[in-house]
Amino acid sequence: MSKPSDLIQGTLDLLILKTLALEPMHGWAIAKRIQQVSQEVLQVTQGALYPALHRLEQQGWLRAEWRASETGREAKFYRLTKAGRVQLDKELEQWRRLSHAVVQVVGEA
Amino acid sequence: MDRWCNLLRMRLRSWMRRKRVETELDRELRYHLERQVEENLAAGISAGEARLAALRMFGGVSQVQEECREMRRTQYVENLWQDLRYAVRMLGKSPVFTVVVVLTLALSIGANSAIFSVIDGVLLKPLPYPRAERLARVFYRSKNFAKFPVNPWDFLDFRARNRSFESFAIYTRSDIQLSGVGEPVKLSAFRISAGYFTVLGVAPARGREFDFVEERPGNGNVVILSDRLWRRQFGAATDILGRKIVLDAKPYTVVGVMPPGVDHPGNAYNSVAYGDTVDAWYPFEFEGNPGQRGPHYLEGIGRLKPGVTVTQAAADFNTIMADLATHYPGDQGWTIYMVPLYQEIVGPVHRLLLVLLGAVGLVLLIACVNTANLLLARATARQREIAVRAALGAGRWRLVRQMLAESLLMAILGGGLGALLASAGVRALVAFLPAGFPRLAAIHVNGLVFGFTALITLATGLFFGLVPALQSSRTDLQQGLREGGRGATGTGRQTRLRSALVVGEVSLACVLLAGAGVMLRSFLNLLHTDAGFQPLHVLTARVSLPDTTYKTKDAIARFYKTLLDGLSTLPGVQAAGAGTDLPWTGYDDNLGGFTIEGKQEPPNESFHARYHAATPDYFRAIGIPLVRGRYFTDRDIKGAPRALIVNQAMARRYWPNEDPVGWRIDFFDDKPKDSDWYTIVGVVGDVKDKPQNSAAEPAFWWPIPQQPWGFGDMSVVLRSASDPVRLTGHLREAVRGLDPSLAVADVRLLDQVAAESFSTPRISLFLVGLFAALALSLAAIGIYGVISYSVSQRMHEFGMRVALGASSWDVIRLVMGQSVALTAIGVTLGLGTTLALAGILDSMLYGVSAKDPLTLICVAAAALATAAMACYPSARRATSADPVAALRAE
Repeated sequence: MSKPSDLIQGTLDLLILKTLALEPMHGWAIAKRIQQVSQEVLQVTQGALYPALHRLEQQGWLRAEWRASETGREAKFYRLTKAGRVQLDKELEQWRRLSHAVVQVVGEA
Repeated sequence: MDRWCNLLRMRLRSWMRRKRVETELDRELRYHLERQVEENLAAGISAGEARLAALRMFGGVSQVQEECREMRRTQYVENLWQDLRYAVRMLGKSPVFTVVVVLTLALSIGANSAIFSVIDGVLLKPLPYPRAERLARVFYRSKNFAKFPVNPWDFLDFRARNRSFESFAIYTRSDIQLSGVGEPVKLSAFRISAGYFTVLGVAPARGREFDFVEERPGNGNVVILSDRLWRRQFGAATDILGRKIVLDAKPYTVVGVMPPGVDHPGNAYNSVAYGDTVDAWYPFEFEGNPGQRGPHYLEGIGRLKPGVTVTQAAADFNTIMADLATHYPGDQGWTIYMVPLYQEIVGPVHRLLLVLLGAVGLVLLIACVNTANLLLARATARQREIAVRAALGAGRWRLVRQMLAESLLMAILGGGLGALLASAGVRALVAFLPAGFPRLAAIHVNGLVFGFTALITLATGLFFGLVPALQSSRTDLQQGLREGGRGATGTGRQTRLRSALVVGEVSLACVLLAGAGVMLRSFLNLLHTDAGFQPLHVLTARVSLPDTTYKTKDAIARFYKTLLDGLSTLPGVQAAGAGTDLPWTGYDDNLGGFTIEGKQEPPNESFHARYHAATPDYFRAIGIPLVRGRYFTDRDIKGAPRALIVNQAMARRYWPNEDPVGWRIDFFDDKPKDSDWYTIVGVVGDVKDKPQNSAAEPAFWWPIPQQPWGFGDMSVVLRSASDPVRLTGHLREAVRGLDPSLAVADVRLLDQVAAESFSTPRISLFLVGLFAALALSLAAIGIYGVISYSVSQRMHEFGMRVALGASSWDVIRLVMGQSVALTAIGVTLGLGTTLALAGILDSMLYGVSAKDPLTLICVAAAALATAAMACYPSARRATSADPVAALRAE
């Protein structure tokens, strides 16, 4: 199981922002989505996910609201803000530079 | 910026609605868990097992919660809240300590805020004109006169030829009498050239300002009213424009009304006015012969073109001046002195205000040091509490913060109280300042003042709290706990620190004491120098005769003679006179040139002195003594041989070793006939020109019937055997009986005039004295604290000493010695500082140096005596040390 510490520093933020770029979701759905899309390679633990969500909300990149989830119960949905979108672009750009650099060093085209 | 706002909003939300945020966090995590349980159930795990597995996967709900909270960082705020509540409890436990500290701070912070609001109003607030930094005042300057008024015809040349000013105007104080609307009243008025209001940048609210046509002789019968006068005398009539009103018995047409609150830019000559004090403006008419250039009595003011400096403008003017001098001999020897309006207005009080701010700042510093000292003493007593808290896991920073919370709380209480004191104090202060003090009306306690108060409050709290907090948080845990039981002892380091603080306090207090001391001496010198006249029991009032009804010198002389003859018969009146000038009521630089029969003017110099006119009893009424010869009499009338009285300064200058009585003087250049000469008939004593200065300029007086010009603007002076106030009614009646259209203005007691001239030095002395007294008391508290603490520590030692044969006197000497030694160091430092700072005060002192040895010795003595008194109770206590107890303990 991939623990968050295995993720490169700051990548979790990128994953969350990218996932929320599609639509507002609650924590559980975010974790599930990352897991699915990465074909079970990336597993985000709650211990990392929720503090990250709260931090991103404090930064103003996410906004949260309570509404009925698909199960009918109330859940806390996170939505990307405008500032969050800008941040996502920044982080994406950074990620591209970083991964490109790593590929260069490791030498796998 | 936006992000910070958001962050702040979120943090605030997290803090204000802690409960709600907590519940939400709980709900959020529970939702996650439930979904996990459901998933596990769906995967076929039994119900009990599914929940446990979910919890396991989640990995510690409370840790996650804590981490989420951490992300929200409300910890600080909560701790701060705790600290504050704890601080309130701790301060409540020692109410006397708290009250002493809070009151000290309130006094010193309040005093600082009060002085600051004066500084803000007078020095910091921009002048109430648009782009006021471009306004400049224009004066003449020569070898003999640093600052001299402009003359009319030169002004016209300057206005036409200068390239530095956008607009340039002159004005001169010419109070005028309004009649025909109720009682006749004297208006505070100025004659102005066209464009005066353009220079200031204020436009009339109704009508217009004067144009160039109205400057020509005969065209000037127009007037602009102030908003105040328009409302008060004309009921704010909307049809005021075009109306004719009677000023000095002549009809004037109202052409404008100014908006409310037009501030006068101040005037250097005649009674000085500041603020919204002018009632009316009317045109200055350029009369006479351009070749003669006219007398110097105008005040120049101009608005610099953008980008032009005062220096450049002055250079421009001086080029023109040099050219004028080649055409007009009277313009030789003059240069232009140009000064920014702001500097001209606040210059005279700039240094005084900064000195006051410095003094009050010192008081605050002493209050801080004193509080730090008291806190240190308390920290020593609280060592056990601190040690316990440290042992229970409070970090050093947490301890420091706790102590800072206490000191900040006290500072905030003190600051709040101080702000209240300041608002009351400022009103009192403004009431005590003389009317001629610049920009009095601009002094208010406003937002900036409160901001300043808040700032010094916080700085104070941090300053006096930090040292004791850091110091006591260094408590040695083991020692603190061990000694806790029997009352902690201060470490050597703490004692040294406290002694150093006391030395600092004493030295600062000495600086203030020395300042107050020399100011007191200077003030006493001022009071004791002979003013040259006797101001007690003298009533003065201005009665001006309009030249339209009093056309001849005879008419003028007749009016005053009739008036004064009547007044002198009133019971209680000892002397009744009238003269063109009163001492200390304003500008008196009206110089007249003359020739002295049989004396040659030295090269590059001309005979000149100040001219006045007076009735025979003027000198007796005002109390100017006769030195030689005689006063004027009723026989010095038109047609009689012309008489002149000179003062001693004039006698000294032109007849250094001779008796001037009998010499003859002429005032006109053309060949004088025998009857043109004025013979000196008397010499009178000198009157100080300014109350702050013992100098007296040469001056002379004409008898009113023989004056060369028709001065009809006199001050009536009545000397009475007792309180002269009751004469006011008689005076008004007498004037009304002679001419009901005349106003009796500026009714004042001469001793009031004299007292007012001293009010600035008096109030500054009072304030600095107050600050010094405060400082000395604070220092005494500091000394008392340190010595009494040290005595309580050394009781055992004193017991031993007594057991070994020391007398009470020996013990007292020991304790006193310690106190005096500390004080002596402080005094030495303080006097050293005083000597170093002496230059700042010197220019404000009269007849005494800021390094005055007598004052410095008195300061040292006062400080040492205070120290001795402050430590005496402790010394007495030391003598009561019990030798038996001391021996038993060994």
